Amino acid sequence: MKGTLAGVLARPWIWSFIGALAVWLAAITFTGGTGAGGMLTAALSLAVFTVVVGVGQMFVITLGPGNVDLSLPANIGLASAVAMTVMAGDDQRIAFGLLAALACGAAIGTANYLLIWALRIPPIIATLSASFVIQSIDISYGRGLQIKPPPGFADFTNIQLFGIPLLAVLTVLFMIGAHVMLQRTIFGRSVLAIGQNMRAARLAGIAVNRVRFATYVLCGTLGGINGALLAGYFRGANVDIGNEYLLASIAVVVIGGTSVAGGKANIPGLFGAALFLVLLLTMLNTFGVSAGVRLLLTGLIIVAVITAAGGTKRER
Amino acid sequence: MKSGIAIAAVCAALSSTIIANSALADTSGKKIAFSNNYAGNSWRQAMLKSYEIVTKKAVADKVVAAADIFTTADKEVPTQAAQIQNLILQGYDAIVINASSPDALNGAVKQACDAGIVVVSFDGIVTEPCAYRVVVDFKAMGRQEVEEMAKFQPKGGNLLEIRGLAGTSIDEAIHAGILEGVKAHPEFKIVGSVTGDWDQTTAQKAVATVLPSLPDIVGVVDQGGDGYGAAQAFAAAGKPRPTIIMGNRQDELQWWKEQKAKDGYKTWSASIAPGVSTLAFWVAQQVLDGNKSIPHDLLVPYLAFTQDNFETELPNIPKGGVASHEYTQAEAVAAIKANMK
Repeated sequence: MKGTLAGVLARPWIWSFIGALAVWLAAITFTGGTGAGGMLTAALSLAVFTVVVGVGQMFVITLGPGNVDLSLPANIGLASAVAMTVMAGDDQRIAFGLLAALACGAAIGTANYLLIWALRIPPIIATLSASFVIQSIDISYGRGLQIKPPPGFADFTNIQLFGIPLLAVLTVLFMIGAHVMLQRTIFGRSVLAIGQNMRAARLAGIAVNRVRFATYVLCGTLGGINGALLAGYFRGANVDIGNEYLLASIAVVVIGGTSVAGGKANIPGLFGAALFLVLLLTMLNTFGVSAGVRLLLTGLIIVAVITAAGGTKRER
Repeated sequence: MKSGIAIAAVCAALSSTIIANSALADTSGKKIAFSNNYAGNSWRQAMLKSYEIVTKKAVADKVVAAADIFTTADKEVPTQAAQIQNLILQGYDAIVINASSPDALNGAVKQACDAGIVVVSFDGIVTEPCAYRVVVDFKAMGRQEVEEMAKFQPKGGNLLEIRGLAGTSIDEAIHAGILEGVKAHPEFKIVGSVTGDWDQTTAQKAVATVLPSLPDIVGVVDQGGDGYGAAQAFAAAGKPRPTIIMGNRQDELQWWKEQKAKDGYKTWSASIAPGVSTLAFWVAQQVLDGNKSIPHDLLVPYLAFTQDNFETELPNIPKGGVASHEYTQAEAVAAIKANMK
């Protein structure tokens, strides 16, 4: 750790937290201070889901140019339906439902990589076309109906400790684990190495295909568990439950300071970026702007933040 | 078994204006296609199911020769335009359509009209003048929401509004109705407005983000599909439960029932019935029958439930689904007649 302020500011992830703080301050200035704590609690509750898929997407993007998982929204939708169906509203079956969601996500990740590896389809096309198949399976499997979570699981997603959602605490622990995995394990270092230069990584003896395979499965699995958690928090699985995570999962990776070109990942920034996105929505909703203006501002602000974060990198 | 004569008799009983033009042509040889652009939510599933029930019977009764359903895999306009062109080539006599865009399909719809095909749009309507439009009176629904709210909250207070999908005619109409209602009831004030996209998840998220900054809310006026999410957001934020207008979804009515059992909670529920697809089918059949006097724009009532009758309806709604109403031919003829005054 560099002790100076400049040292802190040089860290790419700090910008996402600064952005989150700025929009939060703007929102509470507007309300004259009311609801400051409530906004943070709501932001923490909602940011969790973006972080979980964001970590998966970050590992995939770190594999290098062209690597991205566009099947996450469909994956989340299907896994939410599978998890809630297996749980069948019964508290005793929560663990089975979670396992089913994990398995469903892992299967989707496997299918994605099979398309990429065996058929040599670029990841963008492979995961996008996979998502159409997954969504069709979901529609015929769930018949578009809302499937409710068991009461125990639903309550679990709402537990708060002194205003801090339990899921947010667990997510921080999960992020620490992911950080260690990225920086300290052979798998994580291999992902970074492949992202920096795939050919060099292969020549250095890294099992490139195996690592890429594991990364897509990891991302799929995280999508699966996210589907189950979302269905619990939002009280019901449905096909569209993961829709917003296509853009959000990529946006948090980029805003959080991870290089889109791959080879350079940043876990802490994901949390700041996810908070930033939710607080941005909070701020714009608090200002009471219309839907059109809100979408416009969201786009502009994300572009501005990415430009600002990228600008500091070029200076170094 | 209903024959053409029996149908004519039913028509005569219900509608004296239509009978003059009715049953001019036999529709038993006619084929009607249904072009649908999405099937991924409970409303669309109920819409398809209602349509299937009614048309299967119509085919079995030899009212029409065929009533096939075609759903495209995505919500894209080009896919549906191509689908309509295929249906023209396949020689259907009428196309019932839930359109992905009000104007982008007009070219394909015009081609169908020029080929002598009757086009009836509903829910997602098309603006092409040659097509028929079955539209629910959403403005009246929005107005009625505030009227009902005034009964439950006679002292008035702050309202939170949840809007639907931005840019759609439905969202604009309900919103306009709500504003009219609030004008007539100045004791209410809309202090916050969020976008819920008629989706529980989106609505819950939007309400959760805006709640901390809002003063006490006595009621939520919304557009259907968003009431349960709003209720969850209030509960998660630890805020007192307001009067939330519901939208005929099973989970909304179930929640209402639980709250009613707990402390006599009162509210009102309204939405467009997915079974309006069957009304569109009957409109197509009536036009094929030679009814040239049917107006191209048909306004039909919304489906509402009150404190007294929602629990009777609840068991009929599939779990996680939405309340529907299938039109019989007689009801359809009556609904058409109501528009001809």
